[in-house]
Amino acid sequence: MEHEQGVSRRDFLKTAAAAASALPLAGAPAIIADPGPTDAVRYGIIGTGTQGCTLLKFLTTIPEGRCLATCDIYPPNLKKGLETIGGNPDTYEDYRQLLDRKDIDAVLICTPLHLHAQMTVDALDAGKHVFIEKSMFFKEEEEKPIRQAAAAHAKQVLQIGLQRRSSVLYNIAMEMIRKGALGKITFVRAHWHRNSDWRRPVPDPKFERLLNWRMYREYSGGLMAELASHQIDVANWAIGAEPISVVGTGGIDYWKDGRETCDNVQAIFEYPGGQKLVFTSILSNGHHGFEEHIMGDQGTLEITIGKGLYFREKTAQTTAGSSAETWWAGATVSDEATQKGIPIFPETVSGDEGFVHREIRFAKRWLASLGIYDYEEPHDPWWSEMKNFFASIRESKPVVAPLEIGVADALAVIYGNRAIDTGQKVFWPKRAA
Amino acid sequence: MNPEPDVVCPAAIRFSAILIFLYCLPAQGQVEDKLVRHEASHDAMGTVFTIVSYGREARFLAQVANEAFDEIDSLDAQMSHYKVESELSRINRRAAHEPVLVEPRLFALIAKALRFSQESEGAFDITVGPLMKAWGFFRGVARVPPRGELARVMKRVGYRHIQLDDKQRTIRFAVDGLELDLGGIAKGYAVDRAVDILRANGVNSALVSSGASSIYALGAPPGERAWRVNLRDPFEKQKVADVVRLKDYSLSVSGSYEKFFTLKGRRYSHILDPRTGRPVQGVLMTTVFAPRALDSDALSTTFFVMGAQRARALLANYPNVSLLVYEPTPAPRSFRRIRAQSTEFTLPPESVAELER
Repeated sequence: MEHEQGVSRRDFLKTAAAAASALPLAGAPAIIADPGPTDAVRYGIIGTGTQGCTLLKFLTTIPEGRCLATCDIYPPNLKKGLETIGGNPDTYEDYRQLLDRKDIDAVLICTPLHLHAQMTVDALDAGKHVFIEKSMFFKEEEEKPIRQAAAAHAKQVLQIGLQRRSSVLYNIAMEMIRKGALGKITFVRAHWHRNSDWRRPVPDPKFERLLNWRMYREYSGGLMAELASHQIDVANWAIGAEPISVVGTGGIDYWKDGRETCDNVQAIFEYPGGQKLVFTSILSNGHHGFEEHIMGDQGTLEITIGKGLYFREKTAQTTAGSSAETWWAGATVSDEATQKGIPIFPETVSGDEGFVHREIRFAKRWLASLGIYDYEEPHDPWWSEMKNFFASIRESKPVVAPLEIGVADALAVIYGNRAIDTGQKVFWPKRAA
Repeated sequence: MNPEPDVVCPAAIRFSAILIFLYCLPAQGQVEDKLVRHEASHDAMGTVFTIVSYGREARFLAQVANEAFDEIDSLDAQMSHYKVESELSRINRRAAHEPVLVEPRLFALIAKALRFSQESEGAFDITVGPLMKAWGFFRGVARVPPRGELARVMKRVGYRHIQLDDKQRTIRFAVDGLELDLGGIAKGYAVDRAVDILRANGVNSALVSSGASSIYALGAPPGERAWRVNLRDPFEKQKVADVVRLKDYSLSVSGSYEKFFTLKGRRYSHILDPRTGRPVQGVLMTTVFAPRALDSDALSTTFFVMGAQRARALLANYPNVSLLVYEPTPAPRSFRRIRAQSTEFTLPPESVAELER
């Protein structure tokens, strides 16, 4: 009923607003004054390729961190990193030398996957706070040394680079889930589709494996590690558990260019409550882009970075006995009455807007800057995750994507790839309580 | 104008129904304790259908509602002019070139629509599609079509160009470019078919609504004499214009307030007069009560186009129908209501369709 939809929309808005105001760190405004050079977290970055430079670009506008050193074994990347962050950081080719620096508080590790575990352990042992890009580790056996190092250095921050955890939009979505907007979650469908070869340009064939490490199984978990890892984490977050089994298939079906990792990956993860996550990734069609669709018996969320829509499920309701029956009648026309998605940030205005709308938008933005109100993603989640990392170090705020989240995510990637490689259903090993 | 009767359908209903109700009350009270209420909604025909029903078993009520929704989906698939693969679209593509064999129930519905057209002398017309397109009301941006274009389009509009062959069960268009659009009748028809399914399964207390514009009240809610329905105000969505009571009756509403556009200070309704090719002026809303939703749906549009005075004459053709026409008055956001009804009512006295004061 039209009338009823109006009510549900208001309920939804209330939920979203309450969720927004309840957010911990990610939605917090930038109210910390410029900490100055002595208060800032002094960090070094290991790996200044594409991902490292992406972070550096955001870091140029975060005064809570100061870059003292960069490190990369590939000179053009080292140069690119320096150009991106500016200033005058020292440069290294050997990350151990960077770790030896006593004046460095924290390191950001943005290297190929096969290097993550060793560098994380070394950095923790060197007394550094660590931000490690996802996936956290490459091999199953790497979990234990990371856990041991983290336990031995429990006062140091360890944050995984799952930036959706720092997104206001995603946090509101998860709050909606906790408050029952989707009802009982049964299914998550995630896709990450591109129409490209997913390669980096290589100036000299001798750098092929170095620059295109994602293509080679010696260094990389392929699409599962680089793309699914984000979406598995979203599913784990939404469902509140990690998977118990996975089946999958994949192939090098389109880009037969010498690569070793699949260009077509399909996997189904199963969770303890019977929920399923279906992940698909292809490199031959980009029409659908990347999104997660979280489905419950009361509603659906279609979400990706920068965009979230909520759809209320038309569910039947059964109640005992009679009820006061008052119905509404009025003219409706095609399409007007059917449900379109309700944006998670409903107040975001786009397109032509008049003076009043513009003023309201500025007022809301001002309220948001005071931390009173959230009505849009105030920053790129990459920016927010860096901000959160420094806040955890400087203000002891909770780590947004800590060890356990990273372990669950990394293991799902590893088992997912195993299912594809073997064609067998892979079960999570039983763990000690 | 009618001298203000409160009861829209015959005053005759009344007493006997109340007596029957009182007589049944104690026994009903016991049964009602065990009743469950089931409510479900479903998207179809570009709107939302809702079914609420009462019975003993929730699961059974859900199954019956789902069967009704399946039926509505199947009608949508058959009768949609938006879906290129529908039977109606196939007819629209082929019937100007050759006689097209039509499924019996769809054939009967088209024949019924043609009777409405004949009786209203074209105020109701299922060939209005090209006009809707010219005015931008079909997937387009609303506009006033130039006079020359309108004249060209009008040549492709008119129920008289439809030729039905009852024996062969075929349809043929006399002019090229004719298009059938069942938007003025299909939703009411779908409500009736859903009600048939509920009845066939023994459900005797239910309400079926298609986007609130066509409603059928089957029986009454437990412990009530009839279903209570608020008629929305033509100017304000949340405001009640009138409250009506319905039992074993349908109600359909046509209004110009949901879809219109304004150009150079003039407001154009999406309800077009098929005879002139231009939007209807001077009516805000019509509400029609009839035993079947198919009739109330078609007549609410017909009477909207004809206006109150001419509608009254036509009502002589239809027994058991009541009409409310809401017309604007010079005061801002105000309206007056005009009532009219059939001269003949033949329904059993238990039926209810009345205005509540």
